[in-house]
Amino acid sequence: MESELEQWFAREILPLEPMLEGYLRRNWRDQSEVPDIRQDVYIRVYEAALREKPFNSKHFLFQVARNLMIDRLRRKNVVSFDSIADFDTIGAVEELPDLERWTAARQEVRILMDAVKKLPPRCREVMTLRKIDGFSQREVAEKMGITEDTVERQVSKAVRLLEKALHGTRGVLVSGVRRRMGRLGLLSK
Amino acid sequence: MNERDNIEKEAADWLARIDRGLDDQGVASFEQWKAASIEHRITFIRLQTVWRRADRLAALRRPRPEIPRPQVGLKWLAAMAAALLICAGSGFGYFWVHKSTSQRFETAVGAQRSISLADGTQIELNTNTLIHTSMSPGIRTVKLDRGQAYFDVVHDAHRPFVVIAGNRRITDLGTKFSVFRDGDRVEVIVKEGQVRVDVITPGSSDAPVVAERNTIVMARNTETLMVAKPQQEIENELLWRSGMLVFNQERLADVADEINRYNVRKIEVVGAARDIRIGGSFRADNVDVLKQLLRDGFRLKVVDEGDKTTISN
Repeated sequence: MESELEQWFAREILPLEPMLEGYLRRNWRDQSEVPDIRQDVYIRVYEAALREKPFNSKHFLFQVARNLMIDRLRRKNVVSFDSIADFDTIGAVEELPDLERWTAARQEVRILMDAVKKLPPRCREVMTLRKIDGFSQREVAEKMGITEDTVERQVSKAVRLLEKALHGTRGVLVSGVRRRMGRLGLLSK
Repeated sequence: MNERDNIEKEAADWLARIDRGLDDQGVASFEQWKAASIEHRITFIRLQTVWRRADRLAALRRPRPEIPRPQVGLKWLAAMAAALLICAGSGFGYFWVHKSTSQRFETAVGAQRSISLADGTQIELNTNTLIHTSMSPGIRTVKLDRGQAYFDVVHDAHRPFVVIAGNRRITDLGTKFSVFRDGDRVEVIVKEGQVRVDVITPGSSDAPVVAERNTIVMARNTETLMVAKPQQEIENELLWRSGMLVFNQERLADVADEINRYNVRKIEVVGAARDIRIGGSFRADNVDVLKQLLRDGFRLKVVDEGDKTTISN
């Protein structure tokens, strides 16, 4: 049900989202348009990957983002050398150390729990039974004395609210230590 | 509501339907919806990532009471406690205790070994590894004293499979995973399924974490870090099982550390040569190929002396 390309996108592109959003926010005046631009960037990247997956996902993603911003400026007729020169160069993004998104696991659980706590009461109860206790939707319906259809609707609502609550919180940057023997050394810092 | 919000609503509805369970017809309609536009697909993948991320909340599930906390050096007592917990009040405790079996398995430096347990679980030991297994009717426990082991567990909900490594307890939730231990540092690589990792230091109140497939968990003292990895990297990390080591443009000093795990004769890299980056795959026990490559390919000095090989510019 999940194609190899979809898996690639989830694995290689989506984890870069906080970095991509930062890049767009720094370089785009109207912040309310950023989610829209991000979505367009994703579509272009996915379209391109349908033909051939980029060799360097990160480089490709930021190149697409930059070109897309330039296109949009051009369409608005506000393009000037200054506005383009102001963009962070792709090089600057590339030179950032290749940080791995280590998630401090306990912090991650706390972030998720905080997001669940903010859900409306019924939504929260459904999510608690489904994700913490691990019951199926049918079992959740039985326990709460509501129909399965209602549970399904609550799940749909919950996932959209969670997306908003978790936005930009993906992972915590710790450090880029790659070797297996060195990896654990970073923990003592 | 704009068009993008609409698509997000549809994607969330699909996700909820899939989570409830789709029949063949449902799968076909979903595929049709996804095929209709790339935006559908991307929106769905984003929400699915959030939904899967929430799986980590399973870490807050209260541990099942039948899982005891075995203590270092007291495995018989632990097995007994497990059996007694299961059979509390039934009067069969005595027999169960005597049905539990305990064994020790060890590999020397450079050696590897496969073990089949009575329940069908396969364990592969890497170089310089020591484990103790303890099988009782209520729980299966492996204590990893040192080194690295890969587990392909036959899941049994009524008989948990638990690995104790240092102050971490790794509980199988139906899976294949490896555990590496070096003193107080523990690293868990999950290839399939899920595992739960708890801190078992007495008095610790740290919440356990749940790691899914293609995740590496690193633990030291009470710190626990997790990172998701592409499947290919996970495969590479586990290639030692076929005797191969794979390096991807890594520092020579780090490569030497890794190779030294497998060989009695140690390689020491000194000076600027430590930072040379090399890639490729080697048989873990065939150091000669590497030495030849460094001598001829990188023009480094390779000097064998006593039980060590020194590499320098």
